[in-house]
Amino acid sequence: MNGAKILIVDDELIVRESLGGWLERDGHKVDKAASGEEALERFKNTRYDILLLDIKMEGMSGLEVLKKVKENDPDVSVVMITAYGSIPSAIEAMKNGAYEYLLKPFDPDELMVLIEKILRHQAETRETQFLREQYKERTRFESMIGQSRVIQEVFDLIERIAPADSTVLIKGETGTGKGLAARAIHTKSRRCQGPFVVVNCGAFPEHLLESELFGYQKGAFTDAKTTKKGRLELAHGGTLLLDEIGEISTRMQIDLLRVLEDHVFYRVGGTQPIEVDFRIIAATNKDLEKAIKQGTFREDLYYRLNVICFTVPPLRDRKEDIPLLADYFLRRFAQDTNKPMDQISREALDEMMLYDWPGNVRELANAVERGVVVGRGRRLLPKDLPIFRSEYASSPPGRTLREVEIAHLKSILEETQWNVSKSADILGIDRSTLYDKIKRYELRKRA
Amino acid sequence: MGSKQHSLVISPIGDLHADGELLERVRREIREVFGYETDLLPLIDEKDLCLDPVRKQYHSTPILETLAIICPPEAVKVLAITKVDLFIPILTHVYGEAQLGGRACILSTYRFAERGSPGTEAFRCRLAKEAIHELGHTFNLRHCRDAACVMHYCRSISEVDRKSNHFCRTCAVLVEDEMRRSLQSDGVGF
Repeated sequence: MNGAKILIVDDELIVRESLGGWLERDGHKVDKAASGEEALERFKNTRYDILLLDIKMEGMSGLEVLKKVKENDPDVSVVMITAYGSIPSAIEAMKNGAYEYLLKPFDPDELMVLIEKILRHQAETRETQFLREQYKERTRFESMIGQSRVIQEVFDLIERIAPADSTVLIKGETGTGKGLAARAIHTKSRRCQGPFVVVNCGAFPEHLLESELFGYQKGAFTDAKTTKKGRLELAHGGTLLLDEIGEISTRMQIDLLRVLEDHVFYRVGGTQPIEVDFRIIAATNKDLEKAIKQGTFREDLYYRLNVICFTVPPLRDRKEDIPLLADYFLRRFAQDTNKPMDQISREALDEMMLYDWPGNVRELANAVERGVVVGRGRRLLPKDLPIFRSEYASSPPGRTLREVEIAHLKSILEETQWNVSKSADILGIDRSTLYDKIKRYELRKRA
Repeated sequence: MGSKQHSLVISPIGDLHADGELLERVRREIREVFGYETDLLPLIDEKDLCLDPVRKQYHSTPILETLAIICPPEAVKVLAITKVDLFIPILTHVYGEAQLGGRACILSTYRFAERGSPGTEAFRCRLAKEAIHELGHTFNLRHCRDAACVMHYCRSISEVDRKSNHFCRTCAVLVEDEMRRSLQSDGVGF
């Protein structure tokens, strides 16, 4: 541990000199200020690790200096020096961010222990901050990419809302990156050291979602051979993302509402209340207001979730991000597949820019992945992007969007022999969304 | 380590000069570590020390100032040893005090006698270590993190017992550089 940079603020020369000398012999770099005003002046140009600050001084008091110093540099550790009669002021100072107070005269051994403790604490804090920054940088780079104004606005919003613990509702079409936005909120929040747990509410039938969320007690049902923790429990101390929240049943909505209100729940078959502390982020591609009007989504749950709400824009509204995203995916998949591809041809990029990407960023990622897999050489060419050559791309004018969508869904389902997972993957949408579309458009497998 | 032409002055205060065994031990170890001859020279009377009537302790800083002035000019450094309890205004007590990179330092046996057994071999050994420690400060050395180095600041008697009576490699280099610098400025070859 190296010596600290210490500023002694005391209006008594003898205290400054004797304490300064002692600290210098202990290997610290010491500056001295005879008044609060002088201390603040020194603080403008120098960064100190520790401030030894007398409470009672002529002119500006130690408490005033403490407040001003902390406003400018919250990381500096301030130790108040006080006489016996000023202990209440010292306690007041602790409430205002002072690290400790020492009663005059103080034991040299105690002073030494305190300085060592402060320096160790500062080193640990710096280490944690460094790791946190490293983690944040990596995640931001890997998760959300974009330079367009609309996506930058989303980044700014995430930056602002992340530190608060409020519930967030993220809206956006499928494949726009709602999950990534949720993860970015978690990473930039105070809970970033805690778990980030995702529950895809649309992926489970009701009874499975219940045990997935709440866990179950051994013997709660036939298959419950052991007690299992649910995702709510696993998210304790962190963030819980309820993806596709619009898909949950009315009964589950009631159960969930209760958890959101009380942060207490019971495992399936359990009698012991379990307290949990997590931040909720919900995501949906559904129009929840419409669902409320239709009576399929509870209004009280909606308002409980909709404390902070934002929409992740569809890719067609931020087309200027396509080259950046495509290049990122190209490099990532080329590395994953050990291919030498590192460029996208002008023609391929033009086609990407003309396309509207209904499956958004996920669809773009899948298209580039396919291109990397089938392509040869270093450049990604239009012919490597078969998705652009499908039926709708050359469809005659006058066909409706619905017709185009049905045709495209059919062609992909046929291509995969009705493998829903594979088709959803190619289309860049979730399985549940695809099921929804199959049901809505009454698509049938050809006999 | 040091030149034989220059000496270190050891200045006992009060009836400490009667403790021949302690003074001899301190002289011997200082000679071994610093390489200087030592002169035993009482320079100050106990009655001349500045007693704080409220604290009933003696302020060490003015003693150092006096020592630095009255010490013979040929002395490289001066170390005073006293039985009285020393303090500097902001601290409850000090075991000793030194002018960092200066001429004078002082060591009090008071807290050691309080915590250990005066007159024993262990007591003399501890005092000799702390005498080297205070003199080390006058050679511009700061406290050392190496618990075995004599420049390590000890918070307990057991820590003093654990540390050695010599400098760690780093402190040894630093003290030698400092000696060379001071001898060069005095115009003495080294």
